[in-house]
Amino acid sequence: MVLKRALIPIVLLVPLAACEPPGGSDEMANSPLRGSIVETGSERPRFTLSDTHGNPYSFEDETDGLLAFIFFGYTNCPDVCPIHMATLASSIERLDPADRGRVRVVFISTDPLRDTPDVLRRWLDSFDPGFVGLRGTVDEVNAVAESLLLPPAAVPVGAGDSYTVGHAASVLAVTPDGGTRVKYGFGTRQEDWATDLPLLLQWKAQAP
Amino acid sequence: MQWWCSAQGQPWDWTWRPYVGVWLLVALIAAGYVALRRRYPPTALDGGDGSHSAAYFVTGLILLWAALDWPLAALGASYLASAHVTQFLLAGVVAPGLMLLGIPAGAFGAIERRPTLHAFLGDLTHPVPAFLIFNVGMTVTHWPGVVDAAMATQMGAFALDMAWVLGGVIFWWPLLAPIPARPMFHPLLKIGYLALNGILIRPPFAMMLFSEYPIYSTYELAPPFPGTNPLHDQQLAGAIMKVVTAWIMGIAAWMVFMKWKRMEAVDDGGG
Repeated sequence: MVLKRALIPIVLLVPLAACEPPGGSDEMANSPLRGSIVETGSERPRFTLSDTHGNPYSFEDETDGLLAFIFFGYTNCPDVCPIHMATLASSIERLDPADRGRVRVVFISTDPLRDTPDVLRRWLDSFDPGFVGLRGTVDEVNAVAESLLLPPAAVPVGAGDSYTVGHAASVLAVTPDGGTRVKYGFGTRQEDWATDLPLLLQWKAQAP
Repeated sequence: MQWWCSAQGQPWDWTWRPYVGVWLLVALIAAGYVALRRRYPPTALDGGDGSHSAAYFVTGLILLWAALDWPLAALGASYLASAHVTQFLLAGVVAPGLMLLGIPAGAFGAIERRPTLHAFLGDLTHPVPAFLIFNVGMTVTHWPGVVDAAMATQMGAFALDMAWVLGGVIFWWPLLAPIPARPMFHPLLKIGYLALNGILIRPPFAMMLFSEYPIYSTYELAPPFPGTNPLHDQQLAGAIMKVVTAWIMGIAAWMVFMKWKRMEAVDDGGG
């Protein structure tokens, strides 16, 4: 509780219900997943940002048929970002190599000023060299976040070099068929990921 | 500022932090000990001028302080399970034994003159209840849900620490305290009591060692501590607990054996 209380000022905790489409479905209600299904029957998200080599990265094309995790954060984040990345990396590492190859973690920086391509790459490599790092302007990144029904980043203006960036605290999973989005809030543990990863890899969105 | 150290949820740094409650507790125990020494000056039972017993007590108190204060307490409350079990070994096993060894013999005599207290302590510190209280307490206070809930608040962390100290005192009492006299608790049984505690693997420590995943959310979801990860740290914690407990019990059993041998030699010489 204390841990969570301490984190509230630096992350934008938007109530989950505010991000969910109205109504819901049986798939949402009866889900065996530990994460929360926030959207079903949707299409794979479409956006393009720059990767850490400076090349355009089309999320739709690059993650087609793969289980993708999207997270908005920044490398100077003191807690939520490294904890999410560390637990996710440890859990993916336990998958067999074939399944591991079917998972992409896409980290989108909300702090383009300090997260240069090199900084972002080094930071992601400390968790898993396979993690993808994407950059864009704050407006571009926020447009992507909003298209995914996630809160935009709050980057302080004129704060010098030492500042925190408000950002969504959830990891968004996009299933291999692209049809289901599942949200994992801060507090998701390795055991939760271990339970959900095999299910997500097999997930097929139910017909409406 | 915290009065007792609990989980903070902030990235670790080496900035010193004061814990006033810990200082107060240590000062109270020290003052109580000085008063006890004045009221019950050392006798022949304390081994001469009592400097040995004072050294035991002071060492025990310093170790207790080290366990409950910065940096060990801060690391153990928020970041590292290995620091948490080290705290337990100091505050809940080593310190209570040393402090009990430092109590003047006259103070135990005073308990003997209070029948109700004497009877209560007699029941509580009988080797069987003492064994159960220590081991059940050790298991409960390291159970993941209990640790995660307790470490989140200062009062919870304080309760956990006090339960450790109290459990340690009860554990060592039948071995070290002269009252109530337990002629049936033969040195061989004492060695068995210690050996059993050294060998036992309590459920939470088995979980620490063999679990596939981190069992404590406190440490798993803490800001990362440089150079380690929650699972490896948890396994280290389980190993520290197992190995160090076995060593402590082994050393204590060896001391019981040597004392028994000395007494046998005295008895043989006198007979």
